[in-house]
Amino acid sequence: MADKSAVERGKDVKVPISPSIPSGNDTAWVDVSSILRRASDDIQSDELINGENFNLFAAMSALEIMDPKMDSGIVSTYYSVDEAIDNGAAPIPLSFDRTTDTQCVIDIMDHLLSCEATWHKGGSLAQTVFSCIYLLRPERTSSHALLHSFCRVVRTTCNAVVSTVSDVRTNEEEDLFVMAYGLQLKADGDEKCLSMLNAVEETLARQLKACKALSSKRRVLEDIEPLQGNLDFEEGFCRAVLCRLRFRKHFYHVLTCMRRPQGKGLEVAKKHILSCLSELDSMLKSEEFLRHTYACGISEDGLEDKTTASGRQPIGFDSTLNSRSAAPTPPRAIKLLSWKRAVNYFQKLLHDLEIICSNSLDPVFESALRFVVDFQKFEPDLVARAHIQHLLVQDGKLYGCEPIFSVICKAALLPEGAKNHELQKNETVVQLGQLVINLLRVLCTNTAWQRRKLGKILQDWRIIYVQLELAFRKEFGEITSTSTDQNMCLKICKHILIWVEEQTYSVALRFLVLGFELELYATSEYCMVYWYIYVILIKLTEKTHLRMMLSNESTGRRKSKKKRDIVNDMGKDYQIPPTVLLLQCYIYVAEGLMMMLASLRNENKLFLCVGPFNTEQERFMQQFELLQKAFVPDHASYFSYRETISNARFSTLSMHNCFKDAQKIAKGLHGNFANDPDRMVELRRIEQVAEHNAVALNLVCRLGTLEPSLKISFEFVHHPHFAVASVKRS
Amino acid sequence: MNAAQQDGTCSNHAEISDSSEQKNPSPFVGHAKKLIHHRMLIGIKDGRFFLGSFYCMDKQGNIILQDAVEYRSTRRTSPSPMEHRAVGLILIPFSCRTSCHADCSVEDQLSLLSLKDQN
Repeated sequence: MADKSAVERGKDVKVPISPSIPSGNDTAWVDVSSILRRASDDIQSDELINGENFNLFAAMSALEIMDPKMDSGIVSTYYSVDEAIDNGAAPIPLSFDRTTDTQCVIDIMDHLLSCEATWHKGGSLAQTVFSCIYLLRPERTSSHALLHSFCRVVRTTCNAVVSTVSDVRTNEEEDLFVMAYGLQLKADGDEKCLSMLNAVEETLARQLKACKALSSKRRVLEDIEPLQGNLDFEEGFCRAVLCRLRFRKHFYHVLTCMRRPQGKGLEVAKKHILSCLSELDSMLKSEEFLRHTYACGISEDGLEDKTTASGRQPIGFDSTLNSRSAAPTPPRAIKLLSWKRAVNYFQKLLHDLEIICSNSLDPVFESALRFVVDFQKFEPDLVARAHIQHLLVQDGKLYGCEPIFSVICKAALLPEGAKNHELQKNETVVQLGQLVINLLRVLCTNTAWQRRKLGKILQDWRIIYVQLELAFRKEFGEITSTSTDQNMCLKICKHILIWVEEQTYSVALRFLVLGFELELYATSEYCMVYWYIYVILIKLTEKTHLRMMLSNESTGRRKSKKKRDIVNDMGKDYQIPPTVLLLQCYIYVAEGLMMMLASLRNENKLFLCVGPFNTEQERFMQQFELLQKAFVPDHASYFSYRETISNARFSTLSMHNCFKDAQKIAKGLHGNFANDPDRMVELRRIEQVAEHNAVALNLVCRLGTLEPSLKISFEFVHHPHFAVASVKRS
Repeated sequence: MNAAQQDGTCSNHAEISDSSEQKNPSPFVGHAKKLIHHRMLIGIKDGRFFLGSFYCMDKQGNIILQDAVEYRSTRRTSPSPMEHRAVGLILIPFSCRTSCHADCSVEDQLSLLSLKDQN
């Protein structure tokens, strides 16, 4: 390597050029440093030496070498993994003292758990799990049975997770998650990892039994070499290693069972989940013992950040070795989760997976939708969401067994025979099937991405409605067979069209309410949002009711009343279905909120949409652009909104109290949903929203103009989507 | 920086360099310009080499290489095989440059030698 000072002095220096960097034919490498130095002396400070076609703007995008933010190849510790190994960065065995060796292996196990959790939460594989030198060279650990089998199972587990997430392909944050950049996710013999692990586990179990027998002075039945040298610590170490191994084994089983088609492995997966949770508890319990055995002892400060139970730094990890195999520019700096937080992450993941395993697998569209929406309330992470998606849609079928056309027919309340109709081969009907699958997938993604996607697919749903109408008309015109077939065809067409409209409004409603969960609306926008929700709910209720009535007409039967139905049948020959009544309840609440906010704006000049940047109309368009573009619903515009709210006054409200009506309906529905705990919770929440808002409205009506010091705010204390007005004296 | 350089178009720049050449013709500047687009091999403080086309250089001696490839050995202590990977458009600050070689034909080598002899 050339001497920098010699270069600076301007002398030509002999530089050994590697023969592997050849010059061209009939050319040679010539040292031009002095020429360039003299040339740079002769130019002005604002000049460049460049050729024609030089572009300064392009030149500005050059990566600066030796800048850590731009140069991913800076040599920090070692030039390569092999050099690191040569320099003893990852020794095998980790120590010739078996106790130290065991401690070091446990530290590696713990640190790998932290790495894995960090990867799940958004780090890259290269900086996390594959910062382990032992994982980068799998063949090296073969002489160390415990480390070898552990590394194998970690690698196989990561591979399984990557497969599931990439199979699902929703293109949200998993774009980076599945990038391995050539890292070895699969090594020879990995499929035998479980048998290897079982063998090691068996040995450890025997070692634990032996040391327990020894400590209780019972006769040792077999002669087995202990795990490590210090007999006082033997039991603690055996337990610590065992629970970590067993966790990995059960976790691997969870992942493989959940991947089995059609949800066949869910029951077994549940059992493994319980075992995993038990082993994680044991791991947490081992922390005290492991810290105690760390001879040097460490201060309590910073213990929360440690990536191992013992608090020690593990050996054999270097995340800089992989920086070149990642993207051209260095990856963003990440902080590894602490070991405790990693354990907590896995506990949550397992709880979320357990919920998925409890799915009844009922191939009914609405149940599947509700299941996903309820699941999302737990805020599951990417891996859990990938698994639920994988379960829901397999081979283009719901839960891998029910064809989508059959699902649609059932959802549209068509008779059993409809699902075999020729209509399912129609191109537009097939496209509808794709839209339905896509909708299910979108509902499994993270809230922010989901809302954006829901807004975008509204147009697709509108278009498919028009296309279906045309296709059905054509199809119907071509039918020459019996009238029964004609009847069935007509029935299918009618039902599906209504159902498609209903789903469109359902998507629009979810788009709107997710805005509250993501805190996208300012309080001054609540009025217009509730107006839009009100308008959508009306349409949704209309279509839902229509679909149900159509089904009653077709079957010629009344919907059977539940025995515990307390709705008073006063000679009416038709009962409004409970689902529709619940929607009506929501309509009243939305209307009440809209009118209350409108009155506050009109009379008290509160929550007005003012600001130096956007007018109210512009804000309206910003929030509802996607809905407006898709004409969902038709004729909903800023002007119809203004028309609705411009005359709102408290005096009119007191006569038309929506909140009281909502309460009445909700109370009446208790009997219908008695067997459904989730719906009961929802009913109670809505009742509370209605009740509190009614009280607030009353207060404002009586005192509003008399006491200007009243402060009114809207909070989501009882329901995530419907606010409750709170009136206080300031 | 004057307006012409901010604009970044070559025609404006050509005018400036032309005018400076007229005022102060330097054989070294001329020769350095001839090296533009030649393959250049630059050694860095940490032992890596970069091979690319010479794109430009400024008064401080910072060099930009186009379509550059990074070479490094797998061991600090040689001999060892070289790894390489493409890095695109890069700027090598003068402060970390340890060597600089250009791919020259026989004629170019001769003219370079004569230039060194003259000064």
